[in-house]
Amino acid sequence: MASTQSEIEIVVDASPVAAQEHRRLFIIVAKRSISSVLTRFHAGYFRISLSLGGQTLLWKTLIDPSHGSNPPWRLLQTLPPLCFILLWSLALFTNVLLSLLYISRCFFRFRMVEAEFLHHVGVNYFFAPWISWFLLLQSAPFVAPNTVSYLVLWWVFAVPVVTLDVKIYGQWFTKGKQFLTLVANPTSQLSVIGNLVGSRAAAQMGWKESAVCLFSLGMVHYLVLFVTLYQRLPGGDRLPATLRPVFSLFVAAPSMASLAWESIAGRFDTASKMLLFLSLFLFASLLCRPTLFKKSMRRFSIAWWAYSFPVTILALAATDYAEEVKTGIARGLMLLLTALSVLIFMSLTLLTAFNSRMLLPDDDPIVCLSVH
Amino acid sequence: MEHNEILSSTKQDSPEVIPSLIKFIASNEVAGFDSMEDICSLNNQYQMNGFQPVSLSSEETEAAAILSQNHVSRPIKSHLASAISISMPSSPLEVHLQNTKRVLFSDHGETMFSNGILDSSAACKTASTELPRQAKFHSQPMPTGSTYPEAIVGDKFPNQSESQARNPRIERLKDKRFDSFKTWSGKLERQLSNLRGKPQESELENNTTQNSEMEILPVDRYFDALEGPELDTLKASEELVLPEDKKWPFLLRYPISSFGICLGMSSQAIMWKTLATSPSMNFLHVSSNVNFSLWCISAALIAIVSFIYLLKVIFYFEAVRREYYHPIRVNFFFAPWIAFLFLALGVPPSVAEHLPPALWYILMTPVFCFELKIYGQWMSGGQRRLSKVANPSNHLSIVGNFVGALLGASMGLKEGPIFFFAIGLAHYIVLFVTLYQRLPTNATLPKELHPVFFLFVAAPSVASMAWTKIQGSFDYGSRIAYFIALFLYFSLAVRVNFFRGFRFSLAWWAYTFPMTGAAIATIRYSNEVTNIVTRSLSVTLSAIAILTVTALLITTILHAFVLQDLFPNDIAIAISERRRKTSKKWYHLRTGSSDTKEIENFLKFGSSDNKDIEASLKPPSCKPEEV
Repeated sequence: MASTQSEIEIVVDASPVAAQEHRRLFIIVAKRSISSVLTRFHAGYFRISLSLGGQTLLWKTLIDPSHGSNPPWRLLQTLPPLCFILLWSLALFTNVLLSLLYISRCFFRFRMVEAEFLHHVGVNYFFAPWISWFLLLQSAPFVAPNTVSYLVLWWVFAVPVVTLDVKIYGQWFTKGKQFLTLVANPTSQLSVIGNLVGSRAAAQMGWKESAVCLFSLGMVHYLVLFVTLYQRLPGGDRLPATLRPVFSLFVAAPSMASLAWESIAGRFDTASKMLLFLSLFLFASLLCRPTLFKKSMRRFSIAWWAYSFPVTILALAATDYAEEVKTGIARGLMLLLTALSVLIFMSLTLLTAFNSRMLLPDDDPIVCLSVH
Repeated sequence: MEHNEILSSTKQDSPEVIPSLIKFIASNEVAGFDSMEDICSLNNQYQMNGFQPVSLSSEETEAAAILSQNHVSRPIKSHLASAISISMPSSPLEVHLQNTKRVLFSDHGETMFSNGILDSSAACKTASTELPRQAKFHSQPMPTGSTYPEAIVGDKFPNQSESQARNPRIERLKDKRFDSFKTWSGKLERQLSNLRGKPQESELENNTTQNSEMEILPVDRYFDALEGPELDTLKASEELVLPEDKKWPFLLRYPISSFGICLGMSSQAIMWKTLATSPSMNFLHVSSNVNFSLWCISAALIAIVSFIYLLKVIFYFEAVRREYYHPIRVNFFFAPWIAFLFLALGVPPSVAEHLPPALWYILMTPVFCFELKIYGQWMSGGQRRLSKVANPSNHLSIVGNFVGALLGASMGLKEGPIFFFAIGLAHYIVLFVTLYQRLPTNATLPKELHPVFFLFVAAPSVASMAWTKIQGSFDYGSRIAYFIALFLYFSLAVRVNFFRGFRFSLAWWAYTFPMTGAAIATIRYSNEVTNIVTRSLSVTLSAIAILTVTALLITTILHAFVLQDLFPNDIAIAISERRRKTSKKWYHLRTGSSDTKEIENFLKFGSSDNKDIEASLKPPSCKPEEV
């Protein structure tokens, strides 16, 4: 009798109350994780969608049948178009996901969004979603440039870009505290790139005037920004060391300008060549200064994705250049840059997959600085 | 014998001059202090060794020769009698308050007999006009005899195995004080002299060379220590690591800005070629022989100057390195390549009709590499940011691009010229805006007008010519660039009155090629738009260029042969790594050393990153707020 009394009875209470509690617990945990995700998410994560968009655009240009004169690409054209559609769908999915995340952040963490907007680095990444959408639009396999849907979508994406332009560029030369010498940093070139991408999309539609308008907007501010960034006035060096990869945006802006001018002028003429060469020189210059990036390469962060987009755009511009000039050097350059861009993209994808834990760190510079 | 007279005269003067504040102890009054017996014995000793003083100028060699001939008593005695021993640290204020006579006096004593002491006083010549450097701390005067044996043990002089009959010039080469500037601290020279079969020098020197590890000087040191439009004048509070009163070895005095002569002459050759071949200038009937002779002269000049500088690179690499880190001289490293490009551009048709394109690639590769380095520094280097170091000489780094584009386009190349034109244009815009702004953080911009400002004219004029060759005709782009160049030329020409009062230097030759370039651009423009205005403008500008070059040639010859100071001591490369310790001590007495250190460090590293790529000094761990 004593043995039976000392038995411990475990009763699993399968009553609905307990199940509800479990569900509540689960919801709480889910909410917490989503909440933490929303807290730590910021517009810089759109670098991923930027890179994806750039890659799809590059591949679209490469497998374009009009490039049939280049022998290596005939190989690529044998690939089923399914691969490209898959890539594009992936880009679309990522973009949608990130956009939804950011919209929910706007709803639930509006204060943080506002703080991000006031931060001198964070504000430029507000252009990033629109640039990614523009890239997706241009590389869409089923939306041709002369359709109405293209036009409508162009307007949907262009209006925010112009609004942001007016706000940010106007701040540069009018507002008390946020003037250019203080806030200029390499990410400011994203605003320029936004204008240039919109210009290229417009030119492809046939809307030359809007294209030239956006192009001139972008270029004039690029001129000012280029000089300011090169001068590196004291007091303007507030870029944290972990964000050093954004220096590669120096490469992206002239290449994008080169592409945009090519769409406007119709062919890859001298101005486009000059912009491409400038971009190549800046690329070589950055390659020769690896110590610049040493500190930021110690730990994986979302900033590493900043490497992919500029190299992809450079490869795109080099492709168009090789198409125009058709010399051996140009072709070699195109091959090299394309290979490099694909390599960087793949490595970054793998690194992100393996380091997914570190994707939303506690001490991200933009989040920390914007909170304080 | 003037030295003895001066010594005796100042000996008489000294009692009145010297104030009571400083206690002067004649050395022969103190027992055991440089007594005569010791001197004599030491002198005899060095007599036996047949040792000769090294790297003395002619007067000093004379004086030393007198000494070595055992006429020891009189000069030494007067020297000893007049030798002073200052028993307190010298301070800038006090030296200033004292008159120059004291400096003169101690100078002669020290310079004549204490070659081994690095911190000998300033040159006497300049003492009367200014006190560029303070009198150093003299613990005791060192008569000749005692110096050399000590110095051998110390670390200064070559050993005693040198034979008596020694060329003073080679003595100068063997002067260990310049070793820190030689390649691998003089080891290369020893290797070479070994190869030549000269006797092996003792191991003593190898152990006792002074700190030949020269660190990279951060750019702030150059700004702190130097002043002047070409950053080549030493500030009053600075000292050099090389003796200031000696004439340094020729190679050490040979700056990179000597390539300016090549630039000036070869651009003249191009101008005469253009004058001879332009259809709009046919009325002048210029023969192509002028171009031919000028071209040959330029080629010879370039060969000579390059050869000498190559010798400097081989034997005095440290000096070349310091020139490279000088914020203004670094731009002159483009000058050789630009000179070569000019040579290729001005080649007479009789010598070569068409140049091979491979030559262009060969010439542009060093330009490209230098550019990557320098523009990269502007963009992301630690201390050498453009807002700080921008100066008109930076135009030399930009012009190289345009000249290369011009040459490439003349050769018929297509993409390469556009490449360099694009890079040059982009960076020219940056530099132009920066220089026009005259930012307050800019430490190198000359306050007064200096011929270096003429470099402003160079870039647009060469750019316009390059664009013409690329496009095939003098179109609107070229015209815009040309008119900008013309405007800058005129705005400088009407201010020619303000270009006065500067010391001539060989770098001035580099400032003549913009005028020549403007003349050539005008000639090309007159080819396009031929009327009386453009023709007369061409003639005027060419005449001005020729006149300037002639005047400069005369001045150069004057300085070279009459005044003999064409190559003065190149002070800019010999600045020390830190300020004089005595002045720091003085600050310590006034303000407290820790504060000064803080302020200094703050000013140096205030706005730069912790890990400064370009500087060798580590910033302090406490990171101050942004400037």
